[in-house]
Amino acid sequence: MIKDFHYLRPNTVGEALDLISQYKDDCKIICGGQSLLILMRQGLVATDYLVDIKRVQGLNYINFDTNEGLKMGAATTHRAIEKSALIKDKFKVLADMENNLASIQVRNWGTIGGNLAHADAAGDPAPVLMTLGASVKVGSADDTRIISLDQFYVGLFETALKEDEIVLEVQVPVPASRSAAVYEKFNLLQSDQGIIAVAASMTLNGDSTCKEARIALGNAAPTTMRARKAEQTLVGGKLDDDLLEAAGVAASEEADPISDIHASEDYRRHLVKVLTMRMVKKAWEQAAISA
Amino acid sequence: MEKHLLRITVNEQEYELYINPKSLLVEVIRDHLGFTGTKRGCESVSCGACTVMIDGMAVKSCSVLAMQVDGMNVTTSEGLEEKGQLHPIQKAFLDHGAYQCGFCTSGMLMSSKAFLDENPNPTTHEIREGIEGNLCRCTGYNSIVRALDAVAKGNYREDKA
Amino acid sequence: MKYNVINTHVHNIDGIEKVTGRATYTFDVKIPGMLYGKILRSPHPHARIVNIDSSKAIELMGVKAVVTGKDTLGVKQGIWRRYSELCDEQILPLEKVRYIGEPVAAVAAVTEEIAEQALDLIEVDYEVLPAVYEPMEAIKKGAPEVHEGVERNINVTRHIEWGDVEEAFENSDYIREDWFKCSGQAHMCMETRCAVASYTPDGKLTVWTSTQSPYYIQGLLSGVLGLRESDIRVIAHYVGGGFGGKFELDAAQFCSSVLSMKLSKPVKIVFSREEDFIATKRRTPMFYYVRTGVKKDGTFMARETRVFTDGGAYTGMGATALYLTGFFHSFPYKWAGYRYDGFRVYTNTLPSTSMRGFGAPQGMFCSETQIDLIARDLGIDRVEIRRKNAHTPNYEVPGQATIASCGLTECLDKIEEWIKSRGKLPPNRGIGISSYGFMSGGIFNWFDSPYSFSSAVVTINYDGKVDLHVGCQEIGQGSNTTMAIICAEELGVRIEDIRVHSGDTAECPPDLGAWGSRQTLMAGNATKMAAADAKRQLLEFATAKIKPNIVYDLDIKDRWVHLVARPERGLDYFEVVKDALRGKGGQRIVGRGFYTPHRKGMISPAYSYGVQALEIEVDPETGKIKLVNCVTAHDCGQPINPLGLHGQLEGAISMAAGYGFLEDMPMEDGKIMNPNLVDYKIIRATEMPETEVFEIDTYEPEGPFGAKEAGEGLTNPTAAALGNALFDALGISVKQLPITPEKVLNALREKKLEDNK
Repeated sequence: MIKDFHYLRPNTVGEALDLISQYKDDCKIICGGQSLLILMRQGLVATDYLVDIKRVQGLNYINFDTNEGLKMGAATTHRAIEKSALIKDKFKVLADMENNLASIQVRNWGTIGGNLAHADAAGDPAPVLMTLGASVKVGSADDTRIISLDQFYVGLFETALKEDEIVLEVQVPVPASRSAAVYEKFNLLQSDQGIIAVAASMTLNGDSTCKEARIALGNAAPTTMRARKAEQTLVGGKLDDDLLEAAGVAASEEADPISDIHASEDYRRHLVKVLTMRMVKKAWEQAAISA
Repeated sequence: MEKHLLRITVNEQEYELYINPKSLLVEVIRDHLGFTGTKRGCESVSCGACTVMIDGMAVKSCSVLAMQVDGMNVTTSEGLEEKGQLHPIQKAFLDHGAYQCGFCTSGMLMSSKAFLDENPNPTTHEIREGIEGNLCRCTGYNSIVRALDAVAKGNYREDKA
Repeated sequence: MKYNVINTHVHNIDGIEKVTGRATYTFDVKIPGMLYGKILRSPHPHARIVNIDSSKAIELMGVKAVVTGKDTLGVKQGIWRRYSELCDEQILPLEKVRYIGEPVAAVAAVTEEIAEQALDLIEVDYEVLPAVYEPMEAIKKGAPEVHEGVERNINVTRHIEWGDVEEAFENSDYIREDWFKCSGQAHMCMETRCAVASYTPDGKLTVWTSTQSPYYIQGLLSGVLGLRESDIRVIAHYVGGGFGGKFELDAAQFCSSVLSMKLSKPVKIVFSREEDFIATKRRTPMFYYVRTGVKKDGTFMARETRVFTDGGAYTGMGATALYLTGFFHSFPYKWAGYRYDGFRVYTNTLPSTSMRGFGAPQGMFCSETQIDLIARDLGIDRVEIRRKNAHTPNYEVPGQATIASCGLTECLDKIEEWIKSRGKLPPNRGIGISSYGFMSGGIFNWFDSPYSFSSAVVTINYDGKVDLHVGCQEIGQGSNTTMAIICAEELGVRIEDIRVHSGDTAECPPDLGAWGSRQTLMAGNATKMAAADAKRQLLEFATAKIKPNIVYDLDIKDRWVHLVARPERGLDYFEVVKDALRGKGGQRIVGRGFYTPHRKGMISPAYSYGVQALEIEVDPETGKIKLVNCVTAHDCGQPINPLGLHGQLEGAISMAAGYGFLEDMPMEDGKIMNPNLVDYKIIRATEMPETEVFEIDTYEPEGPFGAKEAGEGLTNPTAAALGNALFDALGISVKQLPITPEKVLNALREKKLEDNK
């Protein structure tokens, strides 16, 4: 059962941040609530003050600028991202990822900011956004700052947010030319969280060798992680089976997955290898065509 | 705990309620307003039996604070019929046997309506994705897919009645 | 045979209520003054209950009562009432708990929230005892004793044998033995277990509950509460699924009744989904050893099978599952010698019981997987080896059953044709097949009922509308509609002329309920008999009015009462009804019917048959299986409700496929690790394959209009077909359910090592 709380509904971002700096630890923020409400119902999360920012003005938008890139307000729903013509055009990997996230119902109400702040290592958006070089703009009553997503996750369900900060915006730079990003998760049911998930983005040189590689693993460690050793094996290389194998092996070794009822650690590492090889290959081939 | 005023329209009827702010939308619908068509089948936002439409969007009402729906329009399965005339989706469900025990049906109907309103010409794969958030233990889903496909193909248009 | 109503496209007669949100399930029942109940559950798999102190809980504002085993009669109940040693369960135990999640106390309060808070205030002193979780450990000497006096924790054994097994093995050219492990499964009905009990000062108890058998619940409650059976009324108008898990007495029904009797107030208990997973009985896990001998031309000779089942903490319906698994494991083939020994073992885990298929899905998985291996070993076509040994009409399973109608060979032919039509499959694809044969209800009366197994009453009103009162229970399988169809066809009217009454022990005749796929045949026979009785009475009046020559007989078809030989001569049904009523002194015509199988062998009065083919695609790098297509040829005798039948087939596939590759209940130290719908995987619309059905026409003499069962038999083959499809695609045989990607990958690795040797 949910413990009783005082319900506060600010109208603006400023009001929200003031409330949070006032109540600090005594308050929790709800936006879509698709992760939070389950925890509250199970008694795992309880709070005296609940600050509802779902309808705060100025947090719900999808904008693109050829210099600044993509900017999405934290309260933008998954469904809006999934259906956005702009995102389908410029960041198709995001729309595809959203299409397989949870369920339509959850996507209609849950938000990108809430999802990222929840810091679930099995969450879908984080690895994809990481490979796109994304950052989050976070703010408190006093300050705003930009945190690269690579630095945003610090521990199991833990972000770099200070106790009076919330996520305000997700920023994705304009993709480089000759680049592509892809994502796949391994699960038994299409919209389940991945037992393992791999996102990969490849940027190629003119001769189709690898200029930059970003590989992000989902549910392979306490936090979403970059497979940096795997990335390094790829830089400067040509696409061939041996290179893919090397990247796959590297990723499977630097991953830190658990064993649970769904899969053993061994099998998870195997999936990291297989999916990394597949995603790198797919991103590479798409980047080559995109040129 | 202080109660909050909630103004909500359900099935085109306006309501004013004072509720404990921790009330979930499904609790307001079922317990406060007595619309028991909408069901609950889990605690993990997995089964979809509680699906309703909020301003035309399919949402799991067990996973929404009622206060967040203040001033919005909710539709439940009881709101599909129009003066006793069944909605095309309801007719299609009857014709195709797209339910058995019926417990998932209200939620399934609302997901279906929201989906077809948004995507009136879906492929069968898209229909399957459209109801992916709703579990059914009885039908194996295929009869539901056939029913929705028939609606999408125009078999239940008013002019064909 | 062409009928007016039977086998025509008919809407489910409960449809309007269900698609408009009007249907009221127990989940929805609300009564003035109703209290909410919650159950305190044991955290230990095995412990003595030393003391329960509920004083703090009672003091909490809003709490009205707390009950424990001490507030009950302490009756050990079970559904096998004829065999007291199998009635081993006090739902609120007095002395000890035997599985994690077992109820120890129940609270009634003005809100659910207060009831839940009260649970935390109940103090239970446990003396933790050593526990045992695996049947093969539980049968060892010195293992903890789950029930006093039950040696080696084996509480039920079953033996089935015919022919000279040793001789049959000696005459075999090839012998194979294999071991299998079949998992449990959760029923996972969309409506969890729930009950509203209302005891009133006149000593009467009304219980609204989600059940497959109001009659069983009535009888069982009478036994545990000390109330007269007929002073208990069980109501189940709409039930959100059963699947074999809802015809025993459960804690929602029991605890709400005990609380209500204490307070004379209505008490509602609804299980959370988590409670439904951890504290309601599950499909029985089984360990199978199968030794089979065949001739080199594929003739089946001998089979010797030994099974240990994980019974969990209480018997439930496990004794029946133990017997049926061994029986249907022989199906649907002829054996010269067959021997089955089954052992049901107590463990300190969630009790196991019946679930759709009743032990047959497990039996088929083991049998059909081995048959494909034998076929491969001998180089014989897998359809051919099955056809060679298939049951045929009028075959007698020696000492066990006489098969009357049987369309198995035609089913095999049809599936063979379909497989050929698929041609050469793309890589990593396979088709697997499995046959099955299943019962249309059982002949057993372990409940010790004095009543006919099924009864029906037909009452014809002045306006010709028919009230059909049946005891069979609608749980979504469409039995109300099936009975309406049978009644309409027999009486000669239209389905809209029938109003079905069911789900209320005060208003309807007793019926054993919806299990073992019995209702179409048994309640259908009762309904047909009642309708025939009513028709006969109407025809008396019609004959008197028409006054035909004695050589003519009359019948009714589509509201037309007529001479069979001269159908143009007749009377309107509605007019005959008016005459008959007047002629009977103003009394409505009442017809009665009933059915109990007599001298129908050891198992069932009739058997359905079928063959299923499942096409899958496997990803050999990850082991992930995708279901592509599922084709079933089946023989259910005369289909009664084709729309409902198709639905039952597809529903069965979804549940049985889940058993094959998705659903599992892993435990650690007796604790279920995935009691929620995130971690327990139920198939969704996106993973469900396209399905195709071929009806094989037969006529079952024992069934109403030749009908037999369909809904349960169809869960038997799918797990086996899935395993065999994997075998077809990649040459690996996984003998442990569910067939997960990780198991597939491990099997592939093993095969690679074997091939390299």
